[in-house]
Amino acid sequence: MHIADGILSVPVLAAGFGGTAILAAVTMRKMGHEEIPKVSVMSALFFVVNFIHIPIGPASIHLIMNGLAGIILGKRAFPAIMLGVILQAFLFGFGGVTVIGVNCVMLGGGALIAYFIWQLRHLFPLGDRLEMIFGALAGAAGILVSGVILALAVSLAGEEFWATADMVLVAHIPALIIEAIVVGACASFLKKTKPDLLAGQVRKRILKTS
Amino acid sequence: MSLEIDRFSHIESSIQRWDPRIKILSLGFFIFVAALLKTIPVAVISLLIAIIIIKITNIPFHFVANSIKWIIIFLAPFFLILPFSYPGGAAFHVIGLPFAWEGFRLAILIFTKALAIVLATDAIFGSSRFDISMIAMQRLKCPRVMVQMVLFTYRYIFVFIDEVKRMEKAMRSKGFVMKANMNTLRTMGNFVGTLLIRSFERTERVYSAMLSKGYQGDLHSLVTFEAQGKDFVKAGLIVLLTLAVLVTDMIKIFHPAIQGWY
Repeated sequence: MHIADGILSVPVLAAGFGGTAILAAVTMRKMGHEEIPKVSVMSALFFVVNFIHIPIGPASIHLIMNGLAGIILGKRAFPAIMLGVILQAFLFGFGGVTVIGVNCVMLGGGALIAYFIWQLRHLFPLGDRLEMIFGALAGAAGILVSGVILALAVSLAGEEFWATADMVLVAHIPALIIEAIVVGACASFLKKTKPDLLAGQVRKRILKTS
Repeated sequence: MSLEIDRFSHIESSIQRWDPRIKILSLGFFIFVAALLKTIPVAVISLLIAIIIIKITNIPFHFVANSIKWIIIFLAPFFLILPFSYPGGAAFHVIGLPFAWEGFRLAILIFTKALAIVLATDAIFGSSRFDISMIAMQRLKCPRVMVQMVLFTYRYIFVFIDEVKRMEKAMRSKGFVMKANMNTLRTMGNFVGTLLIRSFERTERVYSAMLSKGYQGDLHSLVTFEAQGKDFVKAGLIVLLTLAVLVTDMIKIFHPAIQGWY
């Protein structure tokens, strides 16, 4: 799910850093220091969850959870994922230093779209299963958007990478399904146990009874 | 699994004694140039430079091997995909698939560059304590909020890894086995949810403790940096080597393995 060093062309790398700078500036606006711990928790979790491997036949796939970051932190998911990506690059060259920008746009962009989809749930009164369905959709959207951005970035590196880009897209399908189920289950679990963790809750107006 | 990148920062060497600010800048320049290289011989030279640097730091091999392992896992597919999907002339066929040497050379180039970059990153962040590297980043005008969040996240990662291990042990002792089915996935969802709740509650406690001790969004540190002549000599050496590598790559002595932008 990460792209490694040495593949992408310089304009794509530069665009990645530029895009990251813009998205970071927009999503981190008016962020008080009381929000720092919450965002840091999510990026540490994003980092750790990446190690949870789920077996599929002979291979295994790891969770990415950028959609989950979106439904928990809202737009602050972007800085959280950016930090996760930066630390992964520094701690063991997961991806790499020059591709930090592209990886941030790819995974963080997925998280922002996931948040957008998550917010759409207010338009559909589906009752009990609402959180599960929209959690699943948000989880799937996170992976889908990241997969498409990744394939685009790879195919921009040159014609010789087009076959690789195709394989990247195909490889994302099982990840997408697994992520959708896990995020959906997680969202409905959180709704039952600690709903105020989820982003974008509508606060119920307290009626004054005089 | 041990992830502390600064485990070997206490070892004495000239890289460890290097002023972190200047170290980050000059080796960062090396990394940037290494990512741009187009010819295999020059990429190999940059890899050799990176190996020499990591050798000077005296960081044990098993630590470096861990980061190399990840790069190999990530890049191994390219050796399988690129030679067989390179457009144009195929040298020969392997079980019906066209094998192109250009694609193979491209895979080697990517692999060599990535290896050089990872080794250089290990040399930068493996040779100073992580908090000192971060303070150095702050002195290099990295945004304060970012640096604070990186420090928090770095602390939490190790706490959460322990938490995950505890929860896994609890699940296993209750007979849970990971399988490719719906039940496993739903359990994983609840697992992540529980991990989230526990972590947030823990963080809230820590944060209230910090507030009550006067935290106002700043971390104060007694670390001071003082760049000396020696630090600049080392930086000059790295920058000169890097420029030499860049120039050799640009003056078409070697046949480029990839179409570049300069």
